[in-house]
Amino acid sequence: MAKILMKGCEAVAEAAVRGGCRFFAGYPITPQNEIPEYLSWRLPEVGGAFVQGESEVASISMVYGASAGGTRAMTSSSGPGISLKAEGISYLSSTKLPAFIVNVSRGGPGLGSIQPAQQDYLQATKAMGHGGFRLMVFAPATVQEAVDIAYDAFEYAERDRNPVLMLMDGCLGAIMETVELPPMKDITGKETAAWNVKRYPGEKRSPRALTPVYPEMFLEYENKQRAKMYEAWQKNDVKVEEFMLGDAEYVVAAYGITARLAKEAILRLRAEGFRVGMIRPITLYPFPKKSFDGLDYSLVKGIIDIELAIPAQMRDDIALEVKDRAPIYEFGHSGGILMNDEDTYAQIKKIVTGGDK
Amino acid sequence: MKTTVVVSGSGGQGIMSIGTMLAQTAVSDGREATFLPEYGPEQRGGSAKCTVVIDDREIISPLAKKCDVFIAMNEQGYKKFIADLKADGILVYNSSRVTSEIKRTDITAVPVPADDICTELGSMKCANIVMIGALTAVSDIVTKDGFASHIEEKFAAKNPGLFKTDIEALEKGAEYGKKINS
Amino acid sequence: MAEYKRASSILSTPSGFCPGCMHSTAIKIIAEAVDAVGQSETAMHILPVGCSTLNLAYWKGDMIGAAHGRASAVATGFKRCAPDRLVFAYQGDGDLAAIGLAEIMSAANRGENFTVIFANNQTYGMTGGQMAPTTLVGQKTTTCREGRNPESMGYPLKMCELISNLEAPYFVARYALNTPKGVIDARKGITKAFKYQLEGKGFTFIELLTNCPTNWKLSPLATIDYMNSNTIPYFVPGVYKDKGAQL
Repeated sequence: MAKILMKGCEAVAEAAVRGGCRFFAGYPITPQNEIPEYLSWRLPEVGGAFVQGESEVASISMVYGASAGGTRAMTSSSGPGISLKAEGISYLSSTKLPAFIVNVSRGGPGLGSIQPAQQDYLQATKAMGHGGFRLMVFAPATVQEAVDIAYDAFEYAERDRNPVLMLMDGCLGAIMETVELPPMKDITGKETAAWNVKRYPGEKRSPRALTPVYPEMFLEYENKQRAKMYEAWQKNDVKVEEFMLGDAEYVVAAYGITARLAKEAILRLRAEGFRVGMIRPITLYPFPKKSFDGLDYSLVKGIIDIELAIPAQMRDDIALEVKDRAPIYEFGHSGGILMNDEDTYAQIKKIVTGGDK
Repeated sequence: MKTTVVVSGSGGQGIMSIGTMLAQTAVSDGREATFLPEYGPEQRGGSAKCTVVIDDREIISPLAKKCDVFIAMNEQGYKKFIADLKADGILVYNSSRVTSEIKRTDITAVPVPADDICTELGSMKCANIVMIGALTAVSDIVTKDGFASHIEEKFAAKNPGLFKTDIEALEKGAEYGKKINS
Repeated sequence: MAEYKRASSILSTPSGFCPGCMHSTAIKIIAEAVDAVGQSETAMHILPVGCSTLNLAYWKGDMIGAAHGRASAVATGFKRCAPDRLVFAYQGDGDLAAIGLAEIMSAANRGENFTVIFANNQTYGMTGGQMAPTTLVGQKTTTCREGRNPESMGYPLKMCELISNLEAPYFVARYALNTPKGVIDARKGITKAFKYQLEGKGFTFIELLTNCPTNWKLSPLATIDYMNSNTIPYFVPGVYKDKGAQL
């Protein structure tokens, strides 16, 4: 299939539809408005429904209602709106309902800035709502990768009966790039999924109740099941790009758009003879622990964490695996200032040549 | 080869459409392209900038500090980004609005009175096409024919009148570009 | 002779509502209305947060538990994807008129094709009798011990009056459950709302004036008189909007 030029947000919306999404509810917020705008006309074309909710709080509950009926449902927002959706996301996890949530993130805290940032890492990976549950969190670096994740998000969400989050920075939402769109998935039969409380004409079965409240023993049991699920993710579902690690003396850690800047800088530094590599988590949760734990620390002189967040947020996860075997450096911007190729190159070089010590 | 183009001006000057049209033309031509818009919260009149990267292979970083080609649509945009143009780079500027003296001597500077040409053509909306016309004469990142077939595909059926004016604008721009080259 | 049967959507489990609470009456007549429109096999009951979450234990039918205040949003999502189902939410006053005010007004304004049944007992029952958006002026609660003072706490919200002012809603009515006639009228009103919904007419809203003997600190019998002299004069029962009757 021919590659076409598409805006990140629109490509994600189309990929979700092709992946089976048939319901969207959301509320306008920059920089993700192209997702609801696109789906407002696209979903009716495929027999789906679109609702512009009165708030993010309501929208995520609409997704909850749609998913309870067996429909593949999604929502999208950005930082401030994702905070509001935290309530509904916790309920989705509690009732074991699948859903796909996209955070096209911007500068924070607060209303922050509408410009791209990576300041929602901690929220996404540690506490996407009350009650201590986890989501699989994907962080694409290209529009194509975002398309591939959106296309398969419901497979993960339905396998685990847990919402899936895609954390993409505003840059990736706004950028236009070439993509190859996957074919429309056949979702016939998906509606009769196990969690579905929808009843069909003539269907004889006991009534089904979907409830976010549990007797204590059941709740503990469910949380134990969740703990097992998180362990299984760590074993089976980690996605990571390891780039030029073999002989690396310095290892860059970066995800999303930042990793692309870093990669170009690494290629330049390699050409100059510096041994630099990169670990790029594609799943932020489960975190690619082994990639960091398994580095050859007789070679590695330092880890360089580059994020559009101050202080760097992924650093804690890296530190748990590095276990003081190498120093961790960090740099980046925060609040909507994007780095460019020259800055990134210069900053890494400064650390690699000892200028930062 | 990787070519970075920066377009700047004010909202409403068709900054984003120059960028998307360049990127789209390159993609139709079988190359890779990225288009990254940057703008403030205002819907109209604020400053606008976009970066287009065109390459024969996969584009790793879509963000570049320095550009190979700079299209300046107004004075403010010119002043803000002229320093980011690489030595030996190409500046195509809207001389109807950029009033500064072009001091850099290490670049090719192409003045195009885009607003005046537009008045002549009777459509104030085609200044951006005039600029692209001029660019095709001084650079090979997109060809005039390639761009013409892109806008033909996009507008010919939908709005034949606009398409006709756009082709005239493209030719006019190219004429200005050629003057510099010869 | 007519046979009196338990409505098919009610389990035989004894109700765990406080003695004299009208929630059980409300649920009974809702179940009877569900039977009357022949939807006991397919009705979807959206549960709120509050005392009526306990319906989980008494209702024999499909249910989805919503987050506090979000019943109308959950119903919107479900119904949009299952337009053939009879969908109703049952919400208390805190759930509907405070934390869920945006959701109820917006769903009503969109004319969503489902029914919301609003149990108004002027207090937060489950959390122990705090002031509700519907608490009457002067009424004492655990968070307004001297009685509701409108100067700083505002006036009780009249939901039927608010919702019937919107363009989209099709049927809006209020009933008091403290008399047999009120109960019978309420059942008729709910049945009518369900019929309208099944005909695809759009949003229907039923407010039921109920009591809370425990938190009002009155005997069940005394609550009936209290309602007559306090609740009903302020929240006047009646049909506030019936687009079907205008035809």
